[in-house]
Amino acid sequence: MSILIQILLNSLETGGIYALAALGIILIFRTSNTTNYAQGTISMFNAFVATFILINTGLPAWLVAIFGAISAFVVGVLVDRIVISKAIKVNPVAKQIITLGLIMIFLGAAPMIFGTDPLQFPRFVYGSHKIAEATISYNAIVNIIVGIVIMLVLFYLLQKSKWGLSVRATASNDIVARMMGIPTPLITMGSWAIAAALGTLSALMLAPTTSVNLTMMDGVQLLALLSCVLGGFQTFYGPVIAAYIIGMASNLISFYISSIWSDSILYLLILAVILFKPNGLFGKKIVKKV
Amino acid sequence: MEKRQKQPIAKMKKGNPIRNYILFGIVLLLLPILVEMGIVQYSHITIFASILIYAIVSLGLNLLVGYSGLVSLGTAGFMGLGTYLAAYFTADLKLPFEISLIISVAIPMIIGVITGLISLRIEGYYLAIATLAISEILRKVFVELDFVTNGFSGKSANYPKLLGFFQLDRNLTYVLVVIFLVLIMIITHNFVNSYTGRALSTMRGSEAAAQAMGINIYRYRLLAFAVAVGFAALGGVLYMHFIKYTYPNTWTLAFSLNILAVIIIGGVRSIPGTIVGSFIVFGVPDLILKKLPVIGQIDGMAYIFNGVLIIVIILFYPMGLVHLWSDVKRKLMTKKRKGE
Repeated sequence: MSILIQILLNSLETGGIYALAALGIILIFRTSNTTNYAQGTISMFNAFVATFILINTGLPAWLVAIFGAISAFVVGVLVDRIVISKAIKVNPVAKQIITLGLIMIFLGAAPMIFGTDPLQFPRFVYGSHKIAEATISYNAIVNIIVGIVIMLVLFYLLQKSKWGLSVRATASNDIVARMMGIPTPLITMGSWAIAAALGTLSALMLAPTTSVNLTMMDGVQLLALLSCVLGGFQTFYGPVIAAYIIGMASNLISFYISSIWSDSILYLLILAVILFKPNGLFGKKIVKKV
Repeated sequence: MEKRQKQPIAKMKKGNPIRNYILFGIVLLLLPILVEMGIVQYSHITIFASILIYAIVSLGLNLLVGYSGLVSLGTAGFMGLGTYLAAYFTADLKLPFEISLIISVAIPMIIGVITGLISLRIEGYYLAIATLAISEILRKVFVELDFVTNGFSGKSANYPKLLGFFQLDRNLTYVLVVIFLVLIMIITHNFVNSYTGRALSTMRGSEAAAQAMGINIYRYRLLAFAVAVGFAALGGVLYMHFIKYTYPNTWTLAFSLNILAVIIIGGVRSIPGTIVGSFIVFGVPDLILKKLPVIGQIDGMAYIFNGVLIIVIILFYPMGLVHLWSDVKRKLMTKKRKGE
């Protein structure tokens, strides 16, 4: 029983990390119509920025995380203004390749600015608590709560606010949205900025367990993309729910089957699910009109 | 990427392309002679051979990206698999080079086809994600199955021995690479201009129209992907026998991105463009950037160089640098005419 609770708590934490990253990817996919492969790399870069601030100023970790999110916001705006907004007329494949080019730029820039050594990022809070014989660190509780709160706020805003309405309108039809007076370039820019900030938060939540290094987000990036695949690209909530499912599956597999091969088994399982549910668990079939 | 699609590949280069490819191969064969004469540095032959091997891999990806509009991020994984299989069959099992070559290309192709069968049924970008996942799994296999792959310490093999008795040395292996490159260029040229190539071209123009004409999109996408994987694995085999060493950290996403950069920078749907791109992406950092005084010392410069080049070319010059020369010439011609 205690093991199950432990796995459930761990799943909530890792699932939250994947969900934040996945939400960023789906936000960009819906507004700019491209799968952003650079999400993880941009997050990694800004995690370096945050850690760099932490090491040089000694500010508390939560404040640094906010600075990291702000720097990610700025990077997102810059990426959109300098590159993505110029690529409106480029076809979808080329747009994806542009985001792949972004990976190379950030991957080259990070060691140039911050050095090649991995850095350590501390937990937000220390200490742990026992719930029915399962230990959970306060840090994990903070991560779980922060993740869920951010997502609930975003979903509330998406459904209820004027900004959310504009995002949904841009997502459903870019051209008509522009005709209705929605500033779609601004909306797209906002999604890139928010996505980068979400990704950076997920990177900083992950950072204490690994370290801040160049490849820290590779696994998260892939699992976030796969949760978009599993949840379907048509809704905002699908990928988030799928991310929690994947987090759960990941912890179950690494506990009961093999911790070395858990990621590989997980990837194969997800690909197998796509075989039977091609449009994802929550996706609808896309009808192409000529 | 769509701007100048009226020019089919065959017409871009006047004259017989196959003859040009063979001529190009003969020119490349001069390199070992120059090295023996002491005009070119000894280490340059390794750089050149890697560039040519990467060109073979890129030709496969160019078919996939250029003709079917699909992106594969698993190039590194499949090429890595090719290297490990080649090393395992020739060094551990002592199989002859030719048989090892066939099996080492066939196994990645089978894995590729299975991946394609799953992911190609849906939207195009699913292939990129699926191949990314497969590539990560393969990399994990390279690290963890250490009784075959030696884990992080890497695996080594020898220069190939042809027909069981003809042991090649470094220069002759370079010749073998050049021969394979020319063969692959001719095969690609014929493939593109065959019925299959025309079907792929139609699909690129409009999937719906192609489907209406009775072209099975699924099948041709799968074929293009299988060819791309096959070329990647062949590149891997040649890499293994020329560099003689492989280890897991070579085969990361960054490598796949470099291969993608080759075709975008050089020229999508262009065989000479792929070669040009390969020289720019893999040659310029090694031969030029590292020699520059300040910039050469900085880590990661090559990545930034390629990344910026990809984005700039997609945004402003989508057909690739291979057309630079003819475009400049045309500009000059029109200027001359206006001046008269």
